[in-house]
Amino acid sequence: MERLTSCWNCGKNTEQIHFCGSCSSLQPPATNYYDFFGFEHRLNLDPAALEDRFYRLSRRLHPDVYFRRSAREQQFSLDATAILNDGYRTLKNPISRAEYLLKEKGITASENGRQPPPELLEEVFELNEMLEELRQGDDSLRPQLEEAEQRFLKLRDEIDCRLQVEFELYDASGDRSRLLEVRSLLSRRRYIRNLIEEVERELVGA
Amino acid sequence: MYSEKVLDHYSNPRNVGSLDKRDRTVGTGMVGAPECGDVMKLQVKVNEETGVIEDAKFKTFGCGSAIASSSLATEWLKGKTLDEALTIRNTDIVNELSLPPVKIHCSVLAEDAIRAAIEDYRKKQAQPQPLEAARP
Repeated sequence: MERLTSCWNCGKNTEQIHFCGSCSSLQPPATNYYDFFGFEHRLNLDPAALEDRFYRLSRRLHPDVYFRRSAREQQFSLDATAILNDGYRTLKNPISRAEYLLKEKGITASENGRQPPPELLEEVFELNEMLEELRQGDDSLRPQLEEAEQRFLKLRDEIDCRLQVEFELYDASGDRSRLLEVRSLLSRRRYIRNLIEEVERELVGA
Repeated sequence: MYSEKVLDHYSNPRNVGSLDKRDRTVGTGMVGAPECGDVMKLQVKVNEETGVIEDAKFKTFGCGSAIASSSLATEWLKGKTLDEALTIRNTDIVNELSLPPVKIHCSVLAEDAIRAAIEDYRKKQAQPQPLEAARP
């Protein structure tokens, strides 16, 4: 994303992120993670490029580099380092990255107070009940618990496959309706993730 | 992080269970919180003559606050008319259980469940009764 601001130090306009194009002084950091790392606002992102930029920026923005510079630049460097770490963690994981992009586009998890589809709730409720029954049983039910875990993992994999498809469709088209699809997949995924955590806790404890 | 009252409802939940959802005097509300993946089922059994809630049951898969919110809701529902039940606000639950800000959505979920259950009951009541005479 292009941005044109005037440098706090020399007053010239600069299009660059992080450093002024004229006097190369450190600029206030971009607060948007995509802008900070210089990526297009897309759902898919090359992990190698992200890592590369993360390490490069870590070195260039590190507070140690600025300890002899102005108080302003020292503060920018501290701010930038915080955004660098949070942004890297958020963008690295495809799920948190998608959640971040959705939020940026004003799409909230709760579908504006609307309830998730009843079929999903019924299904999740039934899966939870099944899990509860298995948990109340003795050790002989362990194979069934393991089977349930496999089933949940398979459901999660299916969601991840569908998410991947939606990621590509959105990136190619910029179509907002794809983001709504991503939201409902992410919401479904959170329910399934809870089930996986539950069953794993049970298997470890059993 | 949990208050005494939340812990009490969490360790001794009231009215856990289920009612026959095909019964036309039973209303079922199934709701979920996509932010955290909780699911809550809340049911009311209503006296058709008086419109008073005679029984309420819930089953919640979620955190302690979600369980406590729905447990408390079923306690409050019993003995209330449907219109009285609809005046229960999530803020009442927040105050009673001293829920912290991050757990307010659990109380919203319970309020949604109450509304969904009553709506389901009213929808059922609006449908014509099956003819007794049709049975042999």
